Amino acid sequence: MLKVSSLEKRFGGLTALKDVHFSVTQGQIKAVIGPNGAGKTTLFNLIAGTLRPTAGDIRLDGEAIAGLPSSRIGMAGIARTFQQPQVFTSLTILENAMLGGHRYHRGDFLSCGLGLRHTRREEEKLRERAEKWLEFAGIGDIAHRNASELPLGQQRYVEIARAMATGSKLILMDEPAAGLDDTETRELGDMVRAISESGTTVLLIDHHMDFVMSLADEVLVLNFGERLAEGTPHEIQNSQVVIDAYLGTDDDA
Amino acid sequence: MSVVATLNKNPVRRNTAQVGLFLIAMLLVPVVFGTGYYLNMMIFIAILALPALGLSLLSGLAGQLAISHGAFFAIGAYGSAILSARAGLSPVLSTLLAQILVAVIAAGIGAVVLRLRSHYLAIATLSFAIIVELVIEEWRGMTGGMQGMLGIPPMGLFGYEASSDVQFYYVYWPITALMLLFALNLASSRIGRALRAIREGEPIVSSLGIHTAGYKTGIYVVSSVFAGIGGALYAHFVGFVTPATGSIMFAIEIIMVLALGGFDRLWGALIGVALITLLNEYALGFADYKKIILGVTLIAVMLVFPRGLLPGLIDLARHRRIARAA
Ligand SMILES: Nc1ncnc2c1ncn2[C@@H]1O[C@H](COP(=O)(O)OP(=O)(O)O)[C@@H](O)[C@H]1O
Ligand SMILES: [Mg+2]
Repeated sequence: MLKVSSLEKRFGGLTALKDVHFSVTQGQIKAVIGPNGAGKTTLFNLIAGTLRPTAGDIRLDGEAIAGLPSSRIGMAGIARTFQQPQVFTSLTILENAMLGGHRYHRGDFLSCGLGLRHTRREEEKLRERAEKWLEFAGIGDIAHRNASELPLGQQRYVEIARAMATGSKLILMDEPAAGLDDTETRELGDMVRAISESGTTVLLIDHHMDFVMSLADEVLVLNFGERLAEGTPHEIQNSQVVIDAYLGTDDDA
Repeated sequence: MSVVATLNKNPVRRNTAQVGLFLIAMLLVPVVFGTGYYLNMMIFIAILALPALGLSLLSGLAGQLAISHGAFFAIGAYGSAILSARAGLSPVLSTLLAQILVAVIAAGIGAVVLRLRSHYLAIATLSFAIIVELVIEEWRGMTGGMQGMLGIPPMGLFGYEASSDVQFYYVYWPITALMLLFALNLASSRIGRALRAIREGEPIVSSLGIHTAGYKTGIYVVSSVFAGIGGALYAHFVGFVTPATGSIMFAIEIIMVLALGGFDRLWGALIGVALITLLNEYALGFADYKKIILGVTLIAVMLVFPRGLLPGLIDLARHRRIARAA
C-alpha cells in the first residue's frame, strides 16, 4: 500500500536520507530501526508531508504523495504520532481525540454560530467516535481532563486515539515505546496489534529490540541515512551486515 | 440530570441561556433607570461591542491580532451610508449588503496573508487600514472627503424609523446580544476547537487532514463582518460619518478594549467596551492627552498582563487565595 523509492533528503550539506526504498503491504506491522540520527524521523516527516523530499517517490495505494502538503496527505489516509508527544495542551483529552475525526463532520461558520441542530448532531457523532478510540487507548475515563495534566508517557495514548480517530489506512508511530517500562511496553504492543487487527497498517520506529522483533512482520534497518537491510525479524537478527553495524554492538543506540 | 449539567453538556443551550438572561437585564435597564443621557452612552457600548467581539474572536480563537477592525467599521459605515442615503435602500438592507463588501475584502486579505505563518496579519492589516483612510478622504464624490457624509437615514424597517435613544436602545441591544450569542456558539463549536488547536500547533492540525488556512481565513472574515455591522449601526444611529469614523486610532482603541477585558474572553470584550466608553466620557475628555494616555496604558497593560487586564487580575486574585490557603 505504501511504496517508497529512491527517496533522498538533504539538509544543506547533510544527507539525512539517501536512496531509500521499501514498501509496506496492507495490514502489515512494519518496523523501522536504526541508531540515533539514522534518519528514521526524517523518513516519517517525508512520508507525512512535514518535510519535502529532495528527490524520490512516495506512493500510497498508487497515488503519488511525495511533496504534497501534510493536510492533503492526512486526507489521503496517513496519520502519525510523534517522537515528542504533540498533544494540544490547551484542549481536553476528548477534544484532542475529536480533532482526529474533525474532517468527517460538517458544520460551517454560519451553522455553528447559529447553533443549528444538525451541527449538534454532528458534534455528538464526532464525540462518540472520539470516545471509542479513547476507550481503545485506555484513557476513556479521563477524557474530560485537560491534556496538559497528563505526564508525557500518557500523552502518547492521546496521540494514538487522535490518530486512530482519523480513520487512516496507515499510521506512522515514532518511538511509541520510548520512556515506557516493561509492563507498559507490553501493553503498547497489544495495542499496536489491535490497531493492526482493526485494519490499519502500522509503520513504527523503535529502539527496543525485543519489542520490535516480537511485534513486527517486517523490519527495515536504516544506518547513516541508508537502507542497510530489510526482512523478517528472523532474517534481520541473523543478517551479518546488521549485526556488524548495529545489533551486536549496541542494543539501545 | 440537573439543569446545570444539561446546560454544560449542550453549549448552545448554555450560551443561549446566558445571553438570554443578559439581554433581559439590559432590556430592563431603561425601565428601572428611566430615560436620560446615559442611554446614549449605552447605545455606543452596544455598537462598539461588535468590533470588539469580532477582534476577540480573532485573537481569542486564532491568536491573531489585526489592525483592520477600524477600517472594516468604516467600510460598514460608509458602505451602508452610501447605499441608503445615495442609493435609497432601506437601512436594514444597506447594512446587510455592506457586509458582502466587508466579507469579500476580508476573504481576499485573509487568503493572502493568513497563508503565511506567524504574525504578518498585524502588519498587513495596518497597511490596509492606511489605504482605507486614504480612499475615504480622497474619493470625495462618493464619501464626501474630509467633510464626511450627512443625512444618513436612521435604522428602521418598513417605514418605522428609530427616532429616540430609547428606541435605538431597544433595537441595538438585541442585535448585539444576538451577535454575542453567535460568537459564543462559534467559540464552543467544532470551529472554535479547530482554531484553538491551530493556534497551538498548526502543522499538527494539518497532519490530521484539516485545511487550516480555510479556518483562519474564515474567522478573519467573521471577525471583520462583526466590525462592519458595528459600523453600519453606528452610521444609522449618529446620522453622519467622517474619516475619523473607524480611523487607525479607533482600531487601536478596540485593541485597548481587549487589553482591558482580555484577549481570549468574549464577555471580557463587552466589559472592556463599557470601561473604555466610561473612561472616554468621564476621564479622557481632552483629546490630545487622550491618545497619549491610551497608548501608554495599552503598552503597560500588555506588558504586565499579556492576556489582558481583567484575566490578569483574576489570575492574580486566585493566586493570592491559593497562596493564603497554602
Ligand atoms: N529539520 C532538520 N534540519 C536539519 N537537520 C535535520 C533536521 N531533521 C533531522 N536532521 C538531521 O538529520 C539526521 C537524521 O535525524 P533523524 O531523522 O531525527 O534521526 P533518527 O530519528 O533516526 O534518530 C540527523 O543528523 C539530524 O541532525
Ligand atoms: Mg527520531
